[in-house]
Amino acid sequence: MNDLAQIASDPALISFRNVYAAYFGDIHVLKNLTLSFRSGEVTSIIGPNGAGKSTVLKTLMGFLKPIAGDIVFDGRSLLGTPSHGMVHVGVGYVPQNSSLFLDLSVEDNLILGCWPIRRDGARVRRAIDRVIGDFPMLAPVRHGLAGEFSGGQRRFLEIARALLLEPKALLFDEPTAMIAPRYASEVYDHIARLARQGIAVILVDQNVRPCIQVSDYVYILELGQKTMEGDANAFRSDERIRAEIGRWLEVSAG
Amino acid sequence: MPPLMTGAIVNAVALGILYGLLGLSLTIIYGAMRIANLAHGEMVLAGSYVAYVVTTQLGYSPLAAIPVAFTLLFLLAFALFAVAGRRLQTARDPEMASFLFFYGVSLMVGSGLLFLFDADARSVIFQFQPISYRVLGLVIPKARAVAVGVALVLVPALFLFLYRTTPGKALRAAVMNRDALRIVGVDVERLSLVAFSVSAGIAGVTGVLLALVFPAFTPFSGLDYTITGFVVIVLGGLGSPLGALLGGMLFAFSEQLTTLWIGQSAGVLAGFLILVLVVAIRPAGLIGQAEWKS
Repeated sequence: MNDLAQIASDPALISFRNVYAAYFGDIHVLKNLTLSFRSGEVTSIIGPNGAGKSTVLKTLMGFLKPIAGDIVFDGRSLLGTPSHGMVHVGVGYVPQNSSLFLDLSVEDNLILGCWPIRRDGARVRRAIDRVIGDFPMLAPVRHGLAGEFSGGQRRFLEIARALLLEPKALLFDEPTAMIAPRYASEVYDHIARLARQGIAVILVDQNVRPCIQVSDYVYILELGQKTMEGDANAFRSDERIRAEIGRWLEVSAG
Repeated sequence: MPPLMTGAIVNAVALGILYGLLGLSLTIIYGAMRIANLAHGEMVLAGSYVAYVVTTQLGYSPLAAIPVAFTLLFLLAFALFAVAGRRLQTARDPEMASFLFFYGVSLMVGSGLLFLFDADARSVIFQFQPISYRVLGLVIPKARAVAVGVALVLVPALFLFLYRTTPGKALRAAVMNRDALRIVGVDVERLSLVAFSVSAGIAGVTGVLLALVFPAFTPFSGLDYTITGFVVIVLGGLGSPLGALLGGMLFAFSEQLTTLWIGQSAGVLAGFLILVLVVAIRPAGLIGQAEWKS
């Protein structure tokens, strides 16, 4: 298949096309990055520290404007869309640091998650009841403050909130960092389930093994560049993972 | 209870709710934008001058000055924000930029008032019928009762807005996590614009009410209001509406009771002593936001 035909029949929901991004001046943190993310799949981005993994998500969310290249969602460029417009487009984001309002109740956090539909009270209530049905652990603490929860409970509340408006894509940045191991596997179960429901899930993770287990497609990033990509099955063998991580350690040390 | 004591308490409650209102509008701006509005006192003072024009010059009731002051200050703030808001929020050092900007605005408004009304003290001259009420052996001027009455409507209305409506919750959430607000789809810049304008409108109304309570004001009174406002919100906890109300009450009570027991000049001193103590013992204020505790 030639390049043109590939673009015409691009099955991806989201594509990065030759994206460059930088925080300051011309020190590029993303260099000529081309990635695609498909609906119904978990696509993971792994790599050593400083590879620009989180930056991919921040750039997609509009928190960082690309210097060059395009980001396309469902055939339309996202470059003109401000961060607060992403949820309207259908992109949910669960960042690495808590995105909850810790001094508000669980219910108020969910109510704010329904901001775009706030004028339709009945729809807001339906959406909240639906996600509480999906995350039953939230029901008894509905009126408790989000700040009183453990890291794991907070993460589930964030995921629940991101699902209120039935997003087409959901971005996770280190979803299991800083939470108890017993919750971590539950988070990965949820991520797998979301993909099965048809959502395009993008997963940035330091925990390479569980991340690859749950993924359909894998990108490896180093110093802002794509160094490898492929079907997750190809990455699942233990020697392969160990070899990769060993190499990253050399990269970080060197 | 001795009548002087009762009087001091009644005064403290009246002033407390007005100081609370002063702090409330200031804390809304601070919370929504992380901007210290140094021109807040001048905005309040502009409201007092609106009351002066409407009553003393035009002969209408001070109540008529309330919507005028709100609208005027709302529009002034809207224009200010439209011109400078975006630049301030995207500045390299937003705190310093807004500090200087609003200091400039305070000078401009102060000089504008000086230009329009001269340096002499002005007061609201309007005879309510009856002039005063007699309650529990105390003479309460009706002007003061009206001011407190309006504040007693305004404060609960603001609290209903902040705690019961979705935009109000978004405003409180802006203190906690601005990026998270963007993630859930809130246009934070627009929210800030509305918050700043509404809060300036409330500052204007507060100025009308304060003009009914304090006998006179000059174009230089703005700084006092700014200082009182900041003391009140630091006492209560930056960004906390409930804290602003508590801080206002605490400040007014310490001021009034010290005036009664020690003397007028010690009154203000006591308020600042309490501020120093609160900042030393509980830097986050009486009701500090969680993120300030860390």
